Formats: sequence, C-alpha cells, structure tokens
Amino acid sequence: MPTALSSTETATTCHRAGRVAAARRAVADVAILFQFRRQAVRRRHLARALSVAFVAVTVGAATVPAFLPGAAGPDQAFQILIAVPSAMAGLLALTVASAIASGGGRELISRDQAAPHPISPTTDHLGALVLAPLNIAWLVQTWTLLGGVAYATPGHQLPFTQVVMVLWILFSTAVGQVLAWSVEAVRRGPFGIAITRSLMVVLGLAAGAVQVTGHTSSLLDRVPTLWFLVSGLEGWSWRWALAVGVLALATLVAIAIGAVPAHWAARRMPRDETRMETNQYQPRPAPRTVLGILVRTDRGSVWRSVPMRRGIMVLALGPGIVALFGDLKWEQMVILPGLVASGGALLFGVNAWCLDGRGALWRENLPASPTTLFDARAWVLTEFLGVASVITVLIGALRAGIPNSQQLAALVCTLLVVTMQVVGASLRWSLKTPYPVDLRSARATPAPPVAMVGYSARLATSTTITGMIFMGCAQVPNWRLSLLVAMPCLLWSASRLVRTRSRWEDPVVRARVVSTVAA
Amino acid sequence: MNQAPVVDVRGLHVRFGEVEAVAGIDLEAYAGQATALLGRNGAGKSTTMRVLAGVVPPSAGTVTIAGLDIRKETLAVKQVTGYCPDVGGLVPRATPWEHLQLSAKLRRLIGWEERARDLLERFELGDVMNRVTGGFSHGMGRRLSVVLAAMHEPQVLLLDEPFDGVDPIGVEATFEVIADARARGATILLSTHLRDLAVQACGTALVLRGGARVAAVDADEMAGEEGARAYRALLD
Repeated sequence: MPTALSSTETATTCHRAGRVAAARRAVADVAILFQFRRQAVRRRHLARALSVAFVAVTVGAATVPAFLPGAAGPDQAFQILIAVPSAMAGLLALTVASAIASGGGRELISRDQAAPHPISPTTDHLGALVLAPLNIAWLVQTWTLLGGVAYATPGHQLPFTQVVMVLWILFSTAVGQVLAWSVEAVRRGPFGIAITRSLMVVLGLAAGAVQVTGHTSSLLDRVPTLWFLVSGLEGWSWRWALAVGVLALATLVAIAIGAVPAHWAARRMPRDETRMETNQYQPRPAPRTVLGILVRTDRGSVWRSVPMRRGIMVLALGPGIVALFGDLKWEQMVILPGLVASGGALLFGVNAWCLDGRGALWRENLPASPTTLFDARAWVLTEFLGVASVITVLIGALRAGIPNSQQLAALVCTLLVVTMQVVGASLRWSLKTPYPVDLRSARATPAPPVAMVGYSARLATSTTITGMIFMGCAQVPNWRLSLLVAMPCLLWSASRLVRTRSRWEDPVVRARVVSTVAA
Repeated sequence: MNQAPVVDVRGLHVRFGEVEAVAGIDLEAYAGQATALLGRNGAGKSTTMRVLAGVVPPSAGTVTIAGLDIRKETLAVKQVTGYCPDVGGLVPRATPWEHLQLSAKLRRLIGWEERARDLLERFELGDVMNRVTGGFSHGMGRRLSVVLAAMHEPQVLLLDEPFDGVDPIGVEATFEVIADARARGATILLSTHLRDLAVQACGTALVLRGGARVAAVDADEMAGEEGARAYRALLD
C-alpha cells in the first residue's frame, strides 16, 4: 500500500502537538480499517473460533508445560533452558526476515483499495504490526518459545519469565517492522536493489565465515538475550523490573520510530514491482503443444511476480542455510520438503486461479479444454514447489555427507508425497474459496490474513506429520519401507487431485471461480 | 429478415444464488450487423455477454451461436467468438505478444503475426507489445482487449465496454475493427454506456433494464436529443 501523506498530516507535522494528533489519528484509522476487514470476513463463526483458539493455545503454551513430568528438572528441562536465549534471537531473526521479504509486512488494506482514502504510512505501519501474528511461522515460534520457557522454568519464577518473553516477542515484532521499512526505503532509493542484494550477500558470507571458523556456539552464547532470560529467572527483583522496563520502552520506541522509515518508503516508487512491469520480455517461439503454451503463460505469471520471487527465494534458501549451519543429518532433513512446500503454496497455490487476475474472463473464452488448463496450473504449482524443495535439500546436503539407501529413499518419498499433498490441497481450496487478489505488490497475499493462517496451519500439520513418518522410515535399515508407505499416500493424494480436476470441468463451478478472481 | 440469426437467445436466465442477473432476455443478431446492448449498471449487459462468450453457463433458456448450442458445444462456440470482457481481460504478468501467441495457438491460427502487428500498431500498442500488461493504464488495457477479441477474425465479435476510458484514437481504431468485422460478414454485439458511440457503431440497439429486454430499436432512433430523451425514458 504506497500511501500518501494525508492532508491533515501535512498540515500538522510541523508541530509536536500536530505529530501526536497525527499518531492518534493513525491509531484510530487502524481500528477503522480493522473493522472494515472484519466485516468482509465470510465465515465469522470460524474467525471467532480461531480467535478463541489463538488465545487458548497461547495461554496453554505459556502454562501447561510447567505441569508436565520433568518440568524445571535438571535434565531435559535444563537443556531447553540453555537453548532459550538462542530461540529468542531466532525469533528476532524470523520477524526481521519475514517482514523484509514481504516488503514491510502485510497490508491491512490493499494498495488499490487504499488509494482513494487518506490513509497515512503510519497507519500502514501500525496495520502491518497488527497483522504480524497472523503468520504460522510467527505463531509456531512464539508458542515454542513460551512452551519451552514454561517447561524449563521453576514454577514460582515462571510468571516473571513469561512477562519478559511476551515483551521480547512484542519487541522482536516491532524491531522486525522497523528494519523491514528501512530496507524497503533503501531498496526503493537510488541503487537500492544493488545495495540490498549486496547487503544480503555480505550477511550470508559473514554467517558462512562464522560457521566455517567454528564460532557459531560462542556467538550464540554472547547474544544479549541471555541477560533478559536471567532477569526473568530472578523473579521479583530490581533487575527483573529493569528488564521489563527496558523491553517495554524499547518496544514503544520501535513502534513509534517504525513510522519514520514507513514514510520514507511511501515517498519512493516500489522499484522491484516497477522494474518487473516495465521490462521488455523478448518474444520467444510458441511451444508446440497447447499444454506447453499454457504452462509457459502460467510460469510467466509466477516468476514475474515480485512476492512470489522473493518468497520462494527466502523459502528455498532459508531452511537450506539453517540445515547447513545446524549440521542437520539426512534423517532430520526429511522434514524440510514439507516446510518448503507448505510455504510455497502460501505464495499463490492456495488461490491458484488468481494468477490470471482479471484476465481470467478472457482466458475462459479461449477454446482450450478445462482439463488442460487445470493440468497446466497443477504442473506449474508442482514445479514451483518441487524446485524450491530440491534447492533446500541440496544446500542442506552440502555438509550431510553421503546418504545411505534408506535415508535417500525416505527423502525422495517425502518430497514426492508432500508435494502431491500440498498441490492437491491447494487446488481444492482454490476451487472452493477463490479470492479476487492482485499479486502485484510485494506485500500481497493470495487470501485474506485469517484465511492464510487457516491454510498455513492445515498445511503445516499435514506435511509435518508426513515428514515425521518418513523420518521414522529413514531409521529402518530397509529402503523399501519408505516406498511402501509412500505408495498409498501418493494414490490418495492423486485420487483427490483427480476429483478436484473433475469438479473444475463443471462450467458452473468454473464460472464462479473465474467471476470471483476477475472481480 | 430471411437469414437465420447467428446469435439466437431465447428466454435467457442467469442466477447467482439469490440474485437474478438476467431475467428472460430474447436476442437475435445477424451476420454483417452490429447490435448495441444499452442499459444502466446492473441491467444484465455484461452477464449476457459472458454467457455468449461461454464464460458463464445459462441457468435457463437456450443460446445458440452460429448454430452451436452453447451448453453442449461450448468449446466450439469459443472458437467462433472473440471476446473483450468488461473488466480488465488481461493476464497481468503476460505481454501483449504472449496473449496473442496463446490465442493463436489455441485457435490453431497460421500466419497470424502480420495481422497481429498491424492491429497493435493501429491501436498504438506496438511499442509496448513486450511489456507485461500489469503496468498498463486502463485505456491501454481496453485497447489491447479489443485487439485480442478481433485478432482471429471471429464470426461473432463480443465487445463489452470497449470505449471505457479509451482515448479518441482508440475509439477510432475500435470503430474500424467493427466496420471491418461487419464488412466480412461477422456479427457484432457491443455493450456500452455510451449511447452516442453505440449509435455511431451499430445498426440496432437493445435496451436492457433489470435483467430483461425493454426495447429493440434501430440505432438511429437513439441518436441526438430526441434519442437521448427516448433512451432516458426507457431507463426509468
């Protein structure tokens, strides 16, 4: 949402009182926009149930593990406690990476919808903060952190430590937003794309150097998050009060100053998107088959989209680099394809027909069999997810040595099964609940935020379970077991995909989808 | 009129859940004729065009295009029609040339490139034929939609709001496309809010209101001040 300064802001920014008034107005505007979005939610009872579930799971994660056997003990609980500072740093890294990849976080209202309204970049910034938790990676990380702390911390210190953790989560989210807007402002400036890419390369090389020289553990030991954890563990004390005060103040400051780079970014053209739209794409000879030209058109729709290019790059490289630095073994790497495929589907797959945008009406008038159109879309989604998963595994494989036959079989079978699962589910949902979405902006998502959380939770659950099953298969010294497990899974997913394909042939169903995505 | 209608619509109904977008339209259009569909927003013009393009199936009634039943021979109907949709109508991350290539491939056209280039030049889109359409202005998008509808010289040309936001050069080029189509014996259906342009381009005008046809007149009767008053009376 590149938003312009509202008329009231221009008039008031000269004075401090005016700035306060503008900030209050921005907060009020967030509430108005949130209400507007809430009214558009189709299944309100589901949204309410999700909200209740969110609160219940968060409270549960922060308390229930404290009552499990071995909680706050000297063995496993202590090992978890040692890992908490790294987990806190990991959460910060995730919020920063996620917000940067999405060009400043999610939009409370899309760019086109916002255009006629006096919505300031401050409102946009605060809206992105409000939407930050509607992201399965954020939810899983925060629940894991709260759960780990609840399990590892002695009961009487737990409330104090959890207060520190909640504040750390808020602080990380706010800082992620500040850095994301700053990077976006730089990216939109002169030589911005070159600068940000160089920065990423330098950071990657630095991380590589730390790993190669064996300094990763000592670096993690020195992260300042340890001080906050120890403050929490001290319980009621001046140090705890200081930690809480510092984090609360830093969070408020981060929220406030995030508006500054948000304004810088809003004043500049989004270069990535503009470059993509003004590039000259030299014509190539038409492929020989109808399926071939449909696949080529769909490929163009995917790879010429900024959110999809950025998203798939983060998805393909991120888990691979984590696997590389974390020295993951082949059995553990089996979990990665599911993670990457789920994330990839969330870039467009869950609303796959939105790729055509308003061109869907014209495409539907073309004399092509509906099944060929479906096959092309399914193929492009499959290759999109498959390529990302293979890149991740290849990066992770650099340090994993030579796999044995059962490890290799388990990995290949996981890759095939989760890809099939995710493609099947995505196309089923695309048919059931299409949304009119323009994937032009780097901040666009293929469905509204609440729907995205639902999709990501379902995909993450199914692919993680599949990954864990094959992780078990990789331990059994017979590679045939993985094949045996994979066959029924593949047949089941294939049969569901065929059913979806049959439904797509129904002209009434197709008309509903096409009319919706083209609206 | 002795010849059989190329577009023959009888008792067309289209329902979207509780909403009846088209409520019993009858329509006949003949070869070499251009027919305007006029009416207010929500009158059912675009939905009727979508049905004729094979994009939305009719809920009730019969529709035949060039003797083909649209329910049973949808793919064949798509072969003989060229459709410019009312909204956008362009794949946002494909170039104009890629749109044309796709259309030509699916319609098995041979030697189409010269005509395509000529049309792009006539609509002043030659310079942008290798840029993705996502960055096009509204008017450029409309012009390209007309090019795509006309490129394969369809037997039935369906133009839904082709003048919306288009500059005078684009309007002139669209008139030429319509005139060319009429000259080669094609049937043209033109849906628009712009009565004056419809009168210039078409011989017949159908006025729709509330999803039903309320008048079928010679386009000349809709011309000038008198025509404006008559049209206004039909809308209220």
